[in-house]
Amino acid sequence: MEVRISPQMSVMDKLKILADAAKYDVSCSSSGSNRKNDGTGIGNTVAAGLCHSFAADGRCISLLKILFTNECIYDCRYCINRKSNDVPRASFTPDEVCELTMEFYRRNYIEGLFLSSGILYSPNYTMELICETVHKLRTVHRFQGYVHVKAIPGADPLLIQRAGYLADRMSVNLEMATADGLREMAPNKHRKNILKPMRQIQNGITQSKNELALYRHAPHFCEAGQSTQMVVGALPESDYQIMSVAENLYEKFSLKRVYYSAFVNVNEDKELPAVTGGPPLLREHRLYQADWLLRFYDFKVDELLTTDRPNFNMAIDPKADWAVRHLEVFPVEINRADYRLLLRIPGIGVKSARRIIAARRFGSLTFEDLKKMGVVLKRALYFITCGGRMMYPTKIDEEYIVRNLTYQNRMGRGERLPFMLDGTTYRQTSLFDDGMILGAQNYRSIS
Amino acid sequence: MEEKYIICEDSLEGIFTAVYDAYALREGHEHIHIQVGEEDNYRLFATYMYSHPDSVKTDKVIGTLKSRLGEEVYAAICRAAASCDKSKGEAIYRTVVEGITAGSGRRTMENLRNPYVVRTFELARRTANEVHHEVEFIRFQELQQGILYALIGPENNVVPFVMPHFADRLATENFMIHDEKHGMYGIHPAHKEWYLVSEAEQLPKDRVQWSQKEQQYQELFTMFHKTIAIRERRNIRLQCQMLPLRFQDYMVEFNKN
Repeated sequence: MEVRISPQMSVMDKLKILADAAKYDVSCSSSGSNRKNDGTGIGNTVAAGLCHSFAADGRCISLLKILFTNECIYDCRYCINRKSNDVPRASFTPDEVCELTMEFYRRNYIEGLFLSSGILYSPNYTMELICETVHKLRTVHRFQGYVHVKAIPGADPLLIQRAGYLADRMSVNLEMATADGLREMAPNKHRKNILKPMRQIQNGITQSKNELALYRHAPHFCEAGQSTQMVVGALPESDYQIMSVAENLYEKFSLKRVYYSAFVNVNEDKELPAVTGGPPLLREHRLYQADWLLRFYDFKVDELLTTDRPNFNMAIDPKADWAVRHLEVFPVEINRADYRLLLRIPGIGVKSARRIIAARRFGSLTFEDLKKMGVVLKRALYFITCGGRMMYPTKIDEEYIVRNLTYQNRMGRGERLPFMLDGTTYRQTSLFDDGMILGAQNYRSIS
Repeated sequence: MEEKYIICEDSLEGIFTAVYDAYALREGHEHIHIQVGEEDNYRLFATYMYSHPDSVKTDKVIGTLKSRLGEEVYAAICRAAASCDKSKGEAIYRTVVEGITAGSGRRTMENLRNPYVVRTFELARRTANEVHHEVEFIRFQELQQGILYALIGPENNVVPFVMPHFADRLATENFMIHDEKHGMYGIHPAHKEWYLVSEAEQLPKDRVQWSQKEQQYQELFTMFHKTIAIRERRNIRLQCQMLPLRFQDYMVEFNKN
């Protein structure tokens, strides 16, 4: 088969089209894999990952994020590259991708390659092209930096396995939180086909780890694990549904990361909601906060949300929200509480909790000490005692605490959001007022 | 007793020699201070001494620090010594006294009750953060002979800490990193050990000529950088928070021309 490329198109034009087509993919991390250079080519990887630049939307640029081709046989409603769209199409050749990656990498522009693709002819054909490209990069160019590739759902398991041995991280996009939502949005994709490669990659990683324990030189399979992403705000699914899916993915599929992508209506499809107030960034932010609570703070989704309260409170973050609804636990004595309980206090994170545990071996701690350790006292002071005393006389009362936490917010001091909320006004309503707790339409009143 | 100020050169060797000299005075540590660089406000009731960098004394100090305080504390002190802050001499001297004479040993950097240890800790952290930023944001340009050249202007003297990362990553490349603020070159010949050169043996600026393809790749990356941003999520404030403006001056994708 001949790849449909217009031969006169320059690399510049192709890169423009194919980077533009790939920008809605969220994942750009280069972490999780630690490899030294072996002296035969360029590249190594750093466990914590490196960001080499930041784009005008504040997102990091770590990898050369491109599609191999934006030609696609599928017709997913939310996707800019769907076949019914009339957009300029382009395809790279494996050599072009290799050369771009190597030259960008030498100049320290990027940390590696992120290769995704539209479906050209068939999933197998596309996956084979991706494999060929990465294989060339690894063997001919001896590239030892970070490579993230997409597993194309529906591709042959052998091809996915081959890609897994070449890449540091693989991902399959779940796209929508519910199977029904996926059917509605992407008529050509099926939940089953997405979960199958995900399971295969998970098994591959486990197997590779076991082999490495026995043989030091056994090949690595997706050393940096796998990730996925979901679109948020295109369908009326609740935060509870989204977070439950994420929790399942972490527990049952051992994913490294689940990404949430605030819906941008690129196609102006009439079936999809018009997001007039811009993409639901605050909702996305709350989901990420909850995601961190799941992964590092030992929270369960059922503690944060229930079927009666299926959405996060937009006014305060999920952790503070949990705390004000569980005031029976507080105040917590800093000098006695165990690590798990310390983590539940708003204003105390993983680092400061660890420092508290280490430091209180040498003597009891005061509020002054906590401040030095990086505890955010203006948030924590309602929930803690040091040596049996609270910092100021405060009421342990839900409304009182919420008012104080959000009062600072109105002054532009409290919670720091990574984006501006222009003309934000918090309505003076009770916390559990439904209007606060969104739905894409109500949401506009806040953002 | 009269206060004594030891004035030393602004370098690792200078500071360590001054520390050696301070100990060699055998007058206790209370009234001795180390001053990096020339004093611009001389005190009336104090004596000033000059200490000249001496490699033998420096090696002795390094040996003692490594064996008595451990590699980690030693590394933190080195990072603090690379700082641009003039208070580093005194902070390092007092930290060494805390570690060796007061006997905090390997746990010296944990003793955050001592204000000088806190200062050393802060200076070391600031250098480490800048090293991390430079590792991320350095931009190499290809010169005509295929040599990679990067120009940086960091606050602290980060080149010695940045070089090991790139020496591993770009093992097969000839590259150099030029710190124009401190007049320092880090040079790495392919497959060989890297080394530092000071600006005295400077490479004239007009000799820097790009290779044929350099311009093209700079344009490609600038375009990629512009294209990858999602218009609906535009957030320049966040961008500046993550990538401070002082780094942007040296990065091709922010080049206004």
